[in-house]
Amino acid sequence: MRKTSPGFGLGLRPVHYPEFLREPQAVDWLEIISENYMVPGGKPLAMLDAILEHYPVAMHGVSLSIGSTDGLDAAYLADLKALANHVQPLWISDHLCWTGVQALNSHDLLPLPYSEEALRLVVRHVDQVQNTLGQRILLENVSSYLEYRSSEMSEWEFLRQVSEQADCLLLLDVNNIYVSGINHGFDPIAFLNHLPVSRVQQIHLAGHSDHGDYIVDTHDHPVAEPVWDLYRHACSRFGEVATMIERDDNIPELGVLIAELDRARAIAAATLGSEMQKFREAVL
Amino acid sequence: MKSAGLAGLQAAFHDHLLDRPSPIAHEVVDGGRIGVEHRLHIYHNAYRVRLLENLRDAYEKTWAYLGDARFETSALAFIEDNPPRHRNLRWHGTAFSQWLANRFPQDPDIAELALIDWQLRQAFDGPNATPVQADELAGLSAENWAGVGFRFTPTLFVTPLRCNSVSIWHALDQEQVPPAAESLHVPTWLLIWRKGWQPHFRTLQAVEHAALMPLQGGTSFAQVCAELGEQFTDQEAASVAAASLRTWLQDELIVGLRYP
Repeated sequence: MRKTSPGFGLGLRPVHYPEFLREPQAVDWLEIISENYMVPGGKPLAMLDAILEHYPVAMHGVSLSIGSTDGLDAAYLADLKALANHVQPLWISDHLCWTGVQALNSHDLLPLPYSEEALRLVVRHVDQVQNTLGQRILLENVSSYLEYRSSEMSEWEFLRQVSEQADCLLLLDVNNIYVSGINHGFDPIAFLNHLPVSRVQQIHLAGHSDHGDYIVDTHDHPVAEPVWDLYRHACSRFGEVATMIERDDNIPELGVLIAELDRARAIAAATLGSEMQKFREAVL
Repeated sequence: MKSAGLAGLQAAFHDHLLDRPSPIAHEVVDGGRIGVEHRLHIYHNAYRVRLLENLRDAYEKTWAYLGDARFETSALAFIEDNPPRHRNLRWHGTAFSQWLANRFPQDPDIAELALIDWQLRQAFDGPNATPVQADELAGLSAENWAGVGFRFTPTLFVTPLRCNSVSIWHALDQEQVPPAAESLHVPTWLLIWRKGWQPHFRTLQAVEHAALMPLQGGTSFAQVCAELGEQFTDQEAASVAAASLRTWLQDELIVGLRYP
């Protein structure tokens, strides 16, 4: 179902263009924010073309609004498809959320109720998007700060149902699972254990801001220790999955992010190694 | 509210974000370490913070000029008046300069500074075009010279200026105290465009403006020179036309030749 992992990546941010273009970096692939390159021309697209000569690139969007009762935005989808034709990305992802209604767009990733009605809507929209783009998309679990009374299932069951009914893939944001787990009091391990292994194509890691009573997904800190622990569990459950670190604010030198990525590499290698050891011991 | 279904829930949530009366609180699970109002406030706040940060980024000099508090007050009022309609956050600030012009009618320097910020951003990621090289013009026959006109870069913006906002912009760029705003006594226009990957701007005086605008409208260069001759002395017109053409070529403003 899922493609072979291209390895360990980073979110491409303009401040790091010079370093990526000056010399090869220990980064296997890059993820772009699709909307940042859905512009007429100029430096962003020129830099993207230069990057594409050296790195495989995945496209990650923030405005698909797959769960909006407004329906899909045809002009946005056409622009997304045009960018995909240009980039020929590893894959295309966005979030399992909605961003606005009444022709307005909040530019926030708003949570859906985990209801049968929302499930039917999202499945229908994913089908339309996948038909338009001619490929499976990945949907990412978002951080959330509230839950709805109208939810009829858990978030992890909703993700599983969406991915199976719509035949799409999942982008698992391990930090978001941790953030939402704290905010809503659920067990993040149960979340991970419920998801279909074959549909998890990519993992996001990121930092957050801890406000004591709740956590906000801010992408402005290094990945937190409990999130590394959860990543370790994700590695043992999902095996070799493309993993990348997102940093959107308080962005450090590229070397700092690569060192953080190396920690992900080490955790994945150790976990997969020990899983392999367990397998050998069981078989021999 | 469950009977209103998903559409009703999303409309209510959206109304909450936009500060309109909303029944959304009834739809949110109560419990856990923070209350419903607090949970809803996180979204209400995040919506404004994200849009405010985007405006700060797009209107960097305007922000420096107004200062944190005044910029924030204006930006938040703009956000209330202009909820984003485009899927790309890039376009949310489109109307901010005009909004500032209405908000501060006695201070046109503020809206002009915002217009410079915005048009520089437009030029930065506007459409690409390949500039015409001087050699291409040098090789034209006399017959072609008689009718040739120019196509200008799609990242070119020409705007009349009322005050010394360009001087204010430069001072802010150098992190110096900007000069007091004052009206300009000579007709002046602002020219913004992209050369290579870098946005540029400079001011334009009446003669060059009189040459540029008809050319942009499709008039031939020979015709523009003839018209300039009627407005200015022949020598002035000829030297302005020649000097302007040289500058436009160097600045990569001309991206195509057209013939009748």
